Amino acid sequence: MGREESWITRWLPPIILFFGGIFLWEAAVRGFQIEQFLLPAPSVIAGTFVENFERLVSIGWFTTKEALGGFVIGCTAGIVVAFATSRWTTASETLMPFAIAANSVPIIAFAPIVNNWFGVDNPLSKMVIVAIIVFFPMMINTVRGLTLVDAAQLELMRSYAAAPSEILFKLRLPNALPYMFNAFKIAASLSMIGAVVSEYFGGNRSALGIFITQEAAQFRFANAWAGIIIACIVGLAFYTVVVLVERLAIPWHSSVRGNNPGG
Amino acid sequence: MTILSINNVSKRFNAGSSNETVALQNINLTIESDEFVSIIGPSGCGKSTLLRVIGDLIAPSEGKVSIHGKSAAQSRLDQDYGMVFQAPVLLEWRRILPNVVLPMELAGIPKPEREKTARNLLAQVGLKGFERHYPWQLSGGMQQRVAIARALAIRPKLLLMDEPFGALDEMTRERMNLQLHDIWRESDTTVLFVTHSISEAVFLSTKIIVMSARPGQILEVIDIDLPRQRDDSTREDVRFFEQERAVREWLRRAESGG
Ligand SMILES: Nc1ncnc2c1ncn2[C@@H]1O[C@H](COP(=O)(O)OP(=O)(O)O)[C@@H](O)[C@H]1O
Ligand SMILES: [Mg+2]
Repeated sequence: MGREESWITRWLPPIILFFGGIFLWEAAVRGFQIEQFLLPAPSVIAGTFVENFERLVSIGWFTTKEALGGFVIGCTAGIVVAFATSRWTTASETLMPFAIAANSVPIIAFAPIVNNWFGVDNPLSKMVIVAIIVFFPMMINTVRGLTLVDAAQLELMRSYAAAPSEILFKLRLPNALPYMFNAFKIAASLSMIGAVVSEYFGGNRSALGIFITQEAAQFRFANAWAGIIIACIVGLAFYTVVVLVERLAIPWHSSVRGNNPGG
Repeated sequence: MTILSINNVSKRFNAGSSNETVALQNINLTIESDEFVSIIGPSGCGKSTLLRVIGDLIAPSEGKVSIHGKSAAQSRLDQDYGMVFQAPVLLEWRRILPNVVLPMELAGIPKPEREKTARNLLAQVGLKGFERHYPWQLSGGMQQRVAIARALAIRPKLLLMDEPFGALDEMTRERMNLQLHDIWRESDTTVLFVTHSISEAVFLSTKIIVMSARPGQILEVIDIDLPRQRDDSTREDVRFFEQERAVREWLRRAESGG
């Protein structure tokens, strides 16, 4: 089997789609003479990017730190709570409906209030919002992974007189890892969204969300778009890092190895 | 010497409710060490339930099980038995060697020793060279052999096997039967083997227990009159056919309700 061939067949279509999309965008803006404030051409945005590169990187990094901080706090809390409650079935069964309900609430709506609690300029207020957003999917998925264990595997452990702690670390935890990586992926996407959107409700001048709103308010739309693109790049990069770590951490899982047995 | 004795064991599921199932009723059975005993019977007659009760994976509603004079619970805690289920039940995140090592890990055997034992067992079941594979890279028959190696890892006095070759094709099954027979003869393990294949039961066993359904009871115990050592020529032996016929006859009675 040609590895390079499969690499090309896999990646060529998305690459063509990407550049084709940019080309169409450029052509549409020029062809229909679309106004700058509606949609700037990619070439114009690229120009802004080059011009303001350092500034964009610094505000992008500012918001990335908020997203990362919130991700770490929220995921850690979610995992800790999941482990603590899954030890007592009644505890996790009582908490789960609330967690699932909370997970479908638009937590971002609380941003103005949290901004108030911790100070609108304080990056901590954004981290807290991100942490709350990622906490619920993290906790829910971890509890599922710890509890949805194959009955036959549990019986096997019991037949070898495994202690509860051995069942936790040798069976429940590895069983939960794929669920947890799913949650990390969801959390990676949510954390950048959470950080940028909560900045829309006010924050430090050097933050990405503030930059985007202010540039748009002052009709510098190419700048606003450049900011949006920074947010997209960071979000994608964050997600990619999680996927790469997943490949290293759970190479045995079907989501990683694909479905070609005998490989 | 008696390794397993079952006294008046009954098991009812959902006792007292409208869908009560009497899975086992008044089972009495003793098994001497060094025997290879097969349990055969119609599906749903309680074979798996009996094995689970012996292994202390579920509690009987009545009666008592003792292994080597100890209670079933104590034997489980002392890892006196190894169990092979119908499915291989491997841990998919462990490679093959660590899967075989698992019971020794739980028993607290030192690492170098348990890895050496696991390597030898894998070679014994014909899986040398697969130590670093993941379970999904192996066929069903190979995975089942891993499960057998794992069950043998703690050198159990009693090996409980629940239709371990049920999912395999005929050729693979016959090869596995030969391997299992050799393992049994070379070790000092007593085997209690559930199957629904008559020829498999006759080929492997020194004794066959025929069970009937609703409620699950022991209908007959048949001593198998064949040389202790079995090989390919066993299947040609005229006594093999005779005993196959006898077992089939009893099984027919079991299926028509005793
Ligand atoms: N956990 C359970 N709860 C309720 N009924 C069960 C359970 N396990 C087995 N049974 C019932 O007990 C009977 C015997 O089952 P089983 O021991 O699995 O039969 P076999 O292995 O001989 O096919 C069946 O009628 C089955 O439906
Ligand atoms: Mg069964």
